[in-house]
This record gives sequence, C-alpha cells and structure tokens, in this order.
Amino acid sequence: MLKKINFRFNRRAFAYPYMIFLLLFVVVPLVIILVNAFLTDDGQSLTFEHFVEFFSDAGGGLTVLGNSLIIGAVTTLICLVIGYPCAYLLAKYHASSRVLVLLFILPMWVNFLIRTLSTKAIFMALNVKLGMGTVLFGMVYNYLPYMILPLHTTLVSIDHSYIEAAEDLGADKLTVFLKTVLPLSLSGIISGITMTFIPAISTFAISEILSSSKIFLFGDAINMHFSKTTNSFGVGSVMSLVMLVLVVVANVVVNLTSKDEEVSSVL
Amino acid sequence: MKRVVSILSCVVLLLTVIFTVAACGKNGETDQLVIYNWADYIYDTKLTDFKSYYKDLTGKDIEITYVTFDTNETMLTRLMQGDSNVDVVCPSEYAIQKLIESNMLVPLNYFKKSEYRKGLSMSDEQFEEFFNGGDCDDNGVVVDSGNIEWGIIEKVSDEDTFGKLVIEETGETVSMIDYFVPYMYGTLGILYNKYAFMDLDIYDKEIMNKANWGILFNDNGEDDILSPGLTGNILMKDSIRDSYAATIFYLKESGRLDGLRNENGDLYTSLPIGQLINAVDDQLLELCRKVLTEQKSQLFGYEVDFGKDDLLQGNAIVDLAWSGDALYAVEESWSDELDDYELAYYVPNGAGNIWFDGWVVPKTYNPDHMEAIKIFINFLNKAEIAAENMLEIGYTSAVDRDLVRTDSDARAVLAEGYTVNCDYWERLDKDGKAVTEFDFDSWEEFEHYFFGGDDDDFDEMDDSNWRYPFVIKEGSVNRDLNSFGIMQDFGANNKKVVTMWNYARSAGVSALPLLGWTALAVAVALGVLFAVIGLKRWRSHTVTSPAKQLTE
Repeated sequence: MLKKINFRFNRRAFAYPYMIFLLLFVVVPLVIILVNAFLTDDGQSLTFEHFVEFFSDAGGGLTVLGNSLIIGAVTTLICLVIGYPCAYLLAKYHASSRVLVLLFILPMWVNFLIRTLSTKAIFMALNVKLGMGTVLFGMVYNYLPYMILPLHTTLVSIDHSYIEAAEDLGADKLTVFLKTVLPLSLSGIISGITMTFIPAISTFAISEILSSSKIFLFGDAINMHFSKTTNSFGVGSVMSLVMLVLVVVANVVVNLTSKDEEVSSVL
Repeated sequence: MKRVVSILSCVVLLLTVIFTVAACGKNGETDQLVIYNWADYIYDTKLTDFKSYYKDLTGKDIEITYVTFDTNETMLTRLMQGDSNVDVVCPSEYAIQKLIESNMLVPLNYFKKSEYRKGLSMSDEQFEEFFNGGDCDDNGVVVDSGNIEWGIIEKVSDEDTFGKLVIEETGETVSMIDYFVPYMYGTLGILYNKYAFMDLDIYDKEIMNKANWGILFNDNGEDDILSPGLTGNILMKDSIRDSYAATIFYLKESGRLDGLRNENGDLYTSLPIGQLINAVDDQLLELCRKVLTEQKSQLFGYEVDFGKDDLLQGNAIVDLAWSGDALYAVEESWSDELDDYELAYYVPNGAGNIWFDGWVVPKTYNPDHMEAIKIFINFLNKAEIAAENMLEIGYTSAVDRDLVRTDSDARAVLAEGYTVNCDYWERLDKDGKAVTEFDFDSWEEFEHYFFGGDDDDFDEMDDSNWRYPFVIKEGSVNRDLNSFGIMQDFGANNKKVVTMWNYARSAGVSALPLLGWTALAVAVALGVLFAVIGLKRWRSHTVTSPAKQLTE
C-alpha cells in the first residue's frame, strides 16, 4: 500500500523549478570548474600545476588579465563620464523624458551580436583601422545603457526638496550638485559601475569582432582553453576561478562602500 | 578516463538518448542509425536518398538520428567521456589518430582484399602489393570501396604518418587505414584577393612563388616585405594546428631552420615534410612564438568565421584557408563586372599540409547497427552521392576523380548544379520553363574548370589543381606527393603548443598606453574642475556679496 505523500501546495512550490534550474546550471557547473582546476589533465590525481602555470605567466595569462582589467576600468570610466550627465538630464526633465529614456533602452532590444557586427561594418566602411580604439568604442556603446539605467533610477528618486533646500541656503549650482546630488546618487553610481565593469572584463565577443581577434582579452583566453583545444580544461578552469574571484571581490567592495544604502548589487 | 565534465555532456546527451529510445519503441521493423557529423557537411541532412537506397537494398525502413559538431575538440570530448551512443562519426585525421590510440575505435577493414573492389586509380601491382595477406571478411554490402582515391590510401598508409599507430592500452601496432573510410580531403593554402594583388603589382608567378608561405608573413622570400599594401591586411586562422603548420613551413623556407638540429641530432631541414610537421619540440615552439609575434604587426586579425566575408568585402587581402573553404569562397566571389572570380587560392610549393576527414565507428556503437553503418559508408562512396556532396559543401570528395568525371549519374548532378549546357540533365527550371542561360556552355568546358587535368587547367600562379591536389602538372617542381605532410595529433606536446599559441596571441597587445592616456585625461579633468571651483571661491571673496553689502 502506498504511503500517502503529504504535499502541501503552497506558494513556495512555485520557486522549486527555478531552484532546480539554479542547482543544475549554476551550482553544478561551478563545482565542476572547481574540481577541474585541481585535477591533472588525465583526471587521475589532484594537482596545483594549473595554478602554477597560470600564475607564472607562462602563456601570458597574467598580461592578458591585466589588459582586460585596464580596458574594463577605462570602459567603465568613460561610461560613467558619458552616462552621468545623460542620466542627470533625463532625470531633470523626467516628465517629458519617457521617450528619451526609451531611446536609450531601445538599442538593448537589438541582439548585441548584431549591433557589434553592424558597428564593425560601419568602421570598415569609414576605413577606420580595427584595434584598441574600436574595441573600446564597442564596449562603451554596448555597456552604456547598463550605466545610465541605475543612475537614472537613483536620480529620479532623489527628493527635489533637498535641492531646493540647498539652494535656499545659498549654495550655487555647482555646490548643490557636489554636496547634494552627487552624494545622494552614490548608490546609483556604484551599481552602475558594477553592472558595467563585471561584464566588461569578461567580454570576448566584442573584442573578437571589433579587433578581428587581434586584441586578446581574458574572456578570449578562457574561451580558447575550452573550445579550441583538448585537454587544457585545467588552466581554463583556473582562469574561470580567477574571474569568479574578481566578480566576488567587486561585489564585496560594492557592499562595503554602500553599507546601509539600498544598493542592489548585481551578481 | 573519467572527467567531471561528463556530467554536463550527459545532460546534453540525454535528449538524444530519449529521442533514440522513443524511436526504437515505435516500430520493431525499422532499423536505426545514429550519425555524428560536422555541421554543414552533407548535402541532405534528412538523408532521403539514403533511406530509399537502404530500403531498396534491405527491404527495411531506417530511422536516422543526425547530430552535428563544430570542432574536433567538442566531438573528441564527447566521445572520450564514453557517454555517446553514436554509431558513425566523421573526425579529422588527427582526431582519428587520437581515438585509435585511446583504443576507442572498431576496425572497419574497409580496404581489405575481399571487400576492396579494384578502383580506377589503382594499378594491378599496387593492388597486389597493398592487399598482400589481407583479411577476408565478406559481408556483401560494401561494394564501392574501390571508389576511394588511391592517393589518400597510399598517403595514410605511409609509415611516417598513420601507417603505424600504437594503441596505448594494448601496445598493439595498427594502421589507420583499417579503421576509417576517407570522406573529404584537401590542402592548406592561401586564399587571396587576386585583384588586390594585381593592384599591388605582386600578382606575378615568380614573385608569388618566391614569397610562397611568406605571403602570410608579408615576406618576399628575400628578407624584405612583399608589399607595403599587405601590412594590416593579412588574416591568420584562429586555429592552433593550421597556424602552427603554416609557421613551420615558413620557418623552413625562410632559412630560419638552417643548421638547427633536433634532439636526435638530425638537421630539421633534412627531415621529410611528413616528419618535420610533426616534430614538435621546445626549439621549434620558441621559433614559432617569435615569428608569430612578429607577424602580428602585419595582421588584420585572426579569422574565426568571417574570413571569407572579410576578403569579399575588401577588409583583408590574404587569409590562411583550407582548400574546401577557399574553393567555396572563390565560387562565391564571381563578379559580373570583372567577368572573373575576384578571389583565388594559392597552394605554396615545397612544403604543404594535406588534411582529410573520414568515417569511423566508436566502440560504444550499437552492434545491431553495423550493417546500416556499412551501407551508409558505402552509400557515401557512390560517385553520384560524392558529386552531390561536392556540389553542396564545396570540399573535395575522397571518391576517385576519374570515377566522378565518368559516372553518368554524377555528371548529371554536377551538370545541373553548375547549369552546364549539355545532355546530362533536363534543362527545365522549377516552373517548367526551359533554362536558356548557362554558366558553362559545354560539358567539356565545365570538366576543365572542375576536374582540371590538361596542362592549361592548372592554377596560373602555382601550377596546382585546387580541387584535386594529387593531380600534378607535368614538369612542375616541388609539387609532388612528398612535399605534402599529414599533421598528427600534438599528443603529449599539446599543452606546450597551447601555451605557445596563447603567448603569441596575447603578445604585442598592451593596454598600458590606454591606461596612461586615461590617467592623463582624468588628471586634466580634475584640474579643470578644481580650477573652476577655485575661481568661484576667489571671485566670491573679491566681489562683495549682496549679503555683505547689506551689512555694510
């Protein structure tokens, strides 16, 4: 006789499919990466050789990582410099800017590969030499909306009476901005930086297309170890781990700096 | 070898298995076959013709599961986990070698004496010599093994390359030819824009043959650049193996290997090409790394998928390419304006690489499917099917050239595909109207284009037959079979080669200048900002504010 299964169908049950999905496609792969990083290539025993190989820079892996970090940081900075004024203006003319905001989100609806390939076509048509500059352009172009959106959300939510108060107390426009708006929008800046920097250091498609694979970034290096060669999963896994550590570090930094502010750090 | 990755592959494979099992349950009379092939590597993935051929031969229906892969590495990973249930696979030569050495393949013995029907390309003496003492394993379904080009069989059986392979587990010595049936083959060469070469004044037989592999490195063969116009217009393949081969050939012909010896004390230059291409050691890797790093200043980039497009759109002029891809690109490059193909394919002389793909059966196959496997392979070796495949894929079929040329069914397929004005096909289009415009005015004209063979059918620049590398122009130098090597698996050196390639790819690119410029820009911006603030403060101090005026 079957024992009656006591299954109460409550709201929590709706979360199970996603929990299973997470377990299968996020947790399990992470464990596999971790295990592979410590296994020898024949899979027979444990080893640290992959770590030694990566950190001794035998294949130029560290140089590549350094380049990726620099390009990621510069991309983020440019995005911030362009994105902040943009988000500020959008927030200022909030009532009439719905269409404008839409215009900024619109490119995100087009598949990013198509966008990037078109960018390349435009550069080629203009006889622009593909290289560092074009890659940087492509990254800024692709990640700018990720900077503007969180900034816009934060700036819109700033209570306008703070600004009026500051003005009443005799602050000029620059001071109002530096002492009131900027500190209040800090949480938006931080989440914008995370949303831009993390994908920017791991990208490989943009650098591949917009430099004809000449600019070899960390994402390309990881990709090469997994899809273009056999039996080099070890080093590839170590690289993926390094990437993962960077992402975690970035998030910890964000959470520390934003302390009690309601920043939704994006992992 | 158990790796954890297999879990992931398992998940992916689950679907295949479910489908196969579901299909099994449906009909007991229906035979099964699981094919694992390169993407875009057969003329009809539904295999309608094969199904009816199978029905005619056995009276039974066949259900086919057709799965594809994009790189040998993906395929190898999947097979090596031992979690595949495929019956027949089409890897490249080095992947086949790896599979044999790992004791993962079932011998097919397709070319044993009893099964081998004497082909056109093989003389009586060769037949006797090759099959002396061969096994007898007759099963009645393989009737077209003699259709395979003899040159490939001979090349593969060469003891320098794949004639003697050792199965690691058992220590047994075997020959690759007993394990596979060739499918497509070709050369590694240089795809280039002919008209750009004319503009640069280097479309010249003497200049090009002197530069040879140096074309890829913008080296004219005499320690000078080939043309300033090539700088920044060269594409290298983003493939370790092919780029390594091209680099080794370049090292040899540019004299960089002169006087150097390998670990056994032999001069590299004295090694046959077949051995040189497979001699991977630290010294050669170091030289490769150096040359590949230097080459970067000449490159447009590394080609992954868009090589053909970049050449056709004029973004680049030169590309390292396989003959099949190159032929396809050349045919695509027809320009009505020029009344010519814009692109051309150059096969360097003296040293080259032959590649091939072939059908093998992994040990994990379903033994009940053996007959279907053999019938399938045999089907692919029919001249007519070879013609269909060549038409669709652009690669050269391993089926004998003369057979395809003379078989009337094959001729009909090609004549229709290339719209040749001849009697082999019904000249009506889809709407039933008569076709009046032809790409070739007669079969003879097409034959010269497609098969070559007469003295003036060879490439103007390099005297080669693009499609059939074994057809050699009489009296041409350095273009015999010996100048071609077959590249083996890197084996234990794999890791070193990957490291070298990684290094070469990352070298010469530095983001430091970028960092410098950004730091400068930030410094300037901050400077301006502070200056503005400072200025305001200063002005508010000197100019008396309204508040101050009030108090005064």
